Amino acid sequence: MSARSFVTSPAAALAARRGRGDERPPGEPRRIGYLYLLPALLVFGAFVLAPLVHAFWLSLFDWDGITAGHWVGLHNYQDVLSDQALRTAFGHALILLIFYAGLPVAIGLMLAGVIARVQVRGLPLFRVVLFLPQVVAMVVVAVMWRMIYDPGNGPINTALRGVGLDGLAKSWLGDFGVALPAVGLIGTWVMYGLAMVLLTAGVQKIPPSLYDAARVDGAGAVREFLAVTLPALRGEIAVALTLTTIAALRNFDLVYITTKGGPGDATSVPAFQVYQRAFETGKVGSAAAIGIVLAALIFTITVAINRVAERGTGARR
Amino acid sequence: MTSRREQSVAYAILGVFSLLAILPILGIVVTAMQQPGGLAGFGSFDGFHVDNFRRAWEQGNFGSYLKSSGIVSVSVVAISTVLSILAGYAFGLMRFRGSEILFYIFLLGLMVPMEAMIVPLYYDLRDLRLTDTYWALILPQAGTSIAFGTFWMRAFFRTVPRSLVEAARIDGASSWLVLWRVLMPLARPAVLTMMVLLFMWTWNEFLLALVMVTDEGLRTAPLGLSFFQGRNQADLTLLAAGACIVALPVVVLYVFLQRHFIRGMLSGAVKG
Amino acid sequence: MADVRFSEVHKRYGAVAAVRDLTLDIADGEFMVLVGPSGSGKTTALRMLAGLESITAGEVYIGPKKVNAIAPRERDIAMVFQDYALYPQMTVFQNLAFGLKRRKTPKDQIERRVREAAAALDIERYLDRKPGQLSGGQAQRVALGRALVRDPQVFLMDEPLSNLDAKLRTQTRGEIKRLQKDVRTTTVYVTHDQVEAMTMGDRIAVMHDGRLEQVGTPEELYERPANKFVGGFIGSPAMSFFDAEARAEPAGGVRLASGPIDVVLPGRDTLPAAVTVGVRPECARPWTADRTDLAGPIAGRVAYVEALGRETFVGVDAGAARLVVHYDGRAALLPGDELTFGVVPAGLRYFDAETGAALATRGAPIAS
Repeated sequence: MSARSFVTSPAAALAARRGRGDERPPGEPRRIGYLYLLPALLVFGAFVLAPLVHAFWLSLFDWDGITAGHWVGLHNYQDVLSDQALRTAFGHALILLIFYAGLPVAIGLMLAGVIARVQVRGLPLFRVVLFLPQVVAMVVVAVMWRMIYDPGNGPINTALRGVGLDGLAKSWLGDFGVALPAVGLIGTWVMYGLAMVLLTAGVQKIPPSLYDAARVDGAGAVREFLAVTLPALRGEIAVALTLTTIAALRNFDLVYITTKGGPGDATSVPAFQVYQRAFETGKVGSAAAIGIVLAALIFTITVAINRVAERGTGARR
Repeated sequence: MTSRREQSVAYAILGVFSLLAILPILGIVVTAMQQPGGLAGFGSFDGFHVDNFRRAWEQGNFGSYLKSSGIVSVSVVAISTVLSILAGYAFGLMRFRGSEILFYIFLLGLMVPMEAMIVPLYYDLRDLRLTDTYWALILPQAGTSIAFGTFWMRAFFRTVPRSLVEAARIDGASSWLVLWRVLMPLARPAVLTMMVLLFMWTWNEFLLALVMVTDEGLRTAPLGLSFFQGRNQADLTLLAAGACIVALPVVVLYVFLQRHFIRGMLSGAVKG
Repeated sequence: MADVRFSEVHKRYGAVAAVRDLTLDIADGEFMVLVGPSGSGKTTALRMLAGLESITAGEVYIGPKKVNAIAPRERDIAMVFQDYALYPQMTVFQNLAFGLKRRKTPKDQIERRVREAAAALDIERYLDRKPGQLSGGQAQRVALGRALVRDPQVFLMDEPLSNLDAKLRTQTRGEIKRLQKDVRTTTVYVTHDQVEAMTMGDRIAVMHDGRLEQVGTPEELYERPANKFVGGFIGSPAMSFFDAEARAEPAGGVRLASGPIDVVLPGRDTLPAAVTVGVRPECARPWTADRTDLAGPIAGRVAYVEALGRETFVGVDAGAARLVVHYDGRAALLPGDELTFGVVPAGLRYFDAETGAALATRGAPIAS
């Protein structure tokens, strides 16, 4: 179609030269869109964006929060890779991912796989209970589990001693070897309900005819799961992984209440490092940098997970 | 596997994990009602000593903590709800230059954790002499809540049939009137879900309170609990009672409105 | 009351032209139907008139006023949407009153006008209900009522009957027409259904690919289509076409040849050598001894049979051409049968084989 075909009159020619496409219809709010946006933008800009920019600025300095700071450029970021303390912290974050994200999603998938073709009554009730850990404040969760993990009279050790396994009764949050997994399991407890609810909701949307077709083709239970359930749940798995991963990286509350990073640095995590460096050890610049890195990680992981999921379905949720 | 077997397995999994989910919570409730000063460990039942709650409220100061949390949460929810509705309306139903870019900026803000903002926020607010005020807790949380709320309301407004808005405009309604008289009645469930989620996240926020607030009179509930734990290592029942009090408002809200909570989180809420 | 004028109106979305060079005059009080297939630009034209789309080039006038830059609410128009667009949380009464309230109409007047409109549309008993409690037909009337109550200069209707079942559609068609006759408000009505257009419009504007193909009364469009598109669009079953060679007969008349079709038509005007011939079903009849008005015979093979009780339409293949032959009553035919038929010469229409434009001929009215 040549340009000539729709420019058939002088008026149209003028419009073609001037207009860059669809103009707003008459009377439809023009600038007014900005007006509606303004209050939200102001608050958001002042208390989220500005701090973010400021955080980046702070991260370029070595500052103790009191005296003058001095410029170090990207040195604080390099520390993430070179400073032992930070490498440990991020390493722990990676391990915690398994507990916060890996395990819950696996549990959710297991349930989803089983529930795919059966009628389960009372699912809404189960959902309410399973979701409960998500609703309770993290501080309360931490206090709760500290009591559970109590080496003296916490229920875990009491039960172990009760069945004669005294040897296994450790100081769960105080023992170098088990502290991190112990904290991780709390995360698992908080997140698995979310994963289960998310994935079972997704499974119920799968048309049963897909399973029938697979059965007719001779697929067994495992095959069905891999060929039908898993691909159909791509979107839900992406959401679950995204939410759980973000929770894994933002675990300040839990670590602060349960172990404060200890014993030693056995449960040191980036989120706690931010607090410690900014408000206890006078390394504000480094703290800011870690915060930025956390934000960047969350962003990258969110985008990456959703890209991979999108490629499969080809459609955005 | 027969369908019957599968059903049993499904119920078993659901049952076990549901039990695991609720046991710790039941445990702390039971512990809160134990005889104070008794020897019972966490979770053992030894009576309904509800007086512990009163003691936690008064001696433990949890009454004051709840009040602070209430003030902050209600303020944050009120401010961000209104502002998010306005912004979501603009993004969802109006065309203006740069709307896409601006929206992506909001989306970005959705992914920024408090851990990334807390450091500059503290020093900035300290310079403004706003630390140790409710504003230090309300404004930053309003900011992050608006990021989520705008995303949420925009998603809703995009489901509104355009013809409805057009009919109202032809009838002579201004954009303001269209929003509040025509669209808001439709938006009630979505707005309620948003309010409920924002309330929960604000009520449960800890790091911000820890950094911003030193005055005991301003302590929010999670912060109060954290201090309480620091002081009272021995008195298990009191600590448990305090913990229950802190968690109660959101849990009660959840029990009555769980459909909203679950639906909201299932819609891919990115904010933690 | 106002007339409506489109003057060289263009609408472009980026590189795509939705409406091209639309010039159309609609008289005060006229019921004008814009009809065409999807993508023809009819809805876009309506929306530009409503002020819901900007006008890329050209002018639109309502009465003496040029309305290009005027907001919808200032244009004194009322619109009925395909999905009715009723305010879901308001009662029917409030839905009807909404526009009046916005214009600061006094309360007692609102009350009166709403009840009048409700009475006219027989929806008085629904006034306290909400849209969610109405059936499709009832909701449609409320949508009409909302427009009626405003007493505007122009009614705009965007396929208001599309979401109704066939029976309700036919019924409501008549009612809309009757209402319009009563209030005599200029009405611009968009539809893709040519039957609706033919039965409702004072005049019809056929649009195709953004262009106005022809505007005229239903009779004009039916008898004298301006081009092949209009010929094939208006009328049901549609006009059949075949390409033919035309040659002047030495003994007078014109010979049309196309495969097995070889007919001589008496006393015709001159035709170009290559021509597209349009045949309406009622102009193709079975070849029987008692019909002396047919040109033919043409031998063909039955492709399909559509028995409608009162009449039967038979699709016939004659070489490369597929024509539709009309039978009164039943036809004892099956697909595959051979069929000989003829055509009524005066009822044929001729179009330029390349451009599709109608060729000027002395055609007699087709309806026999």
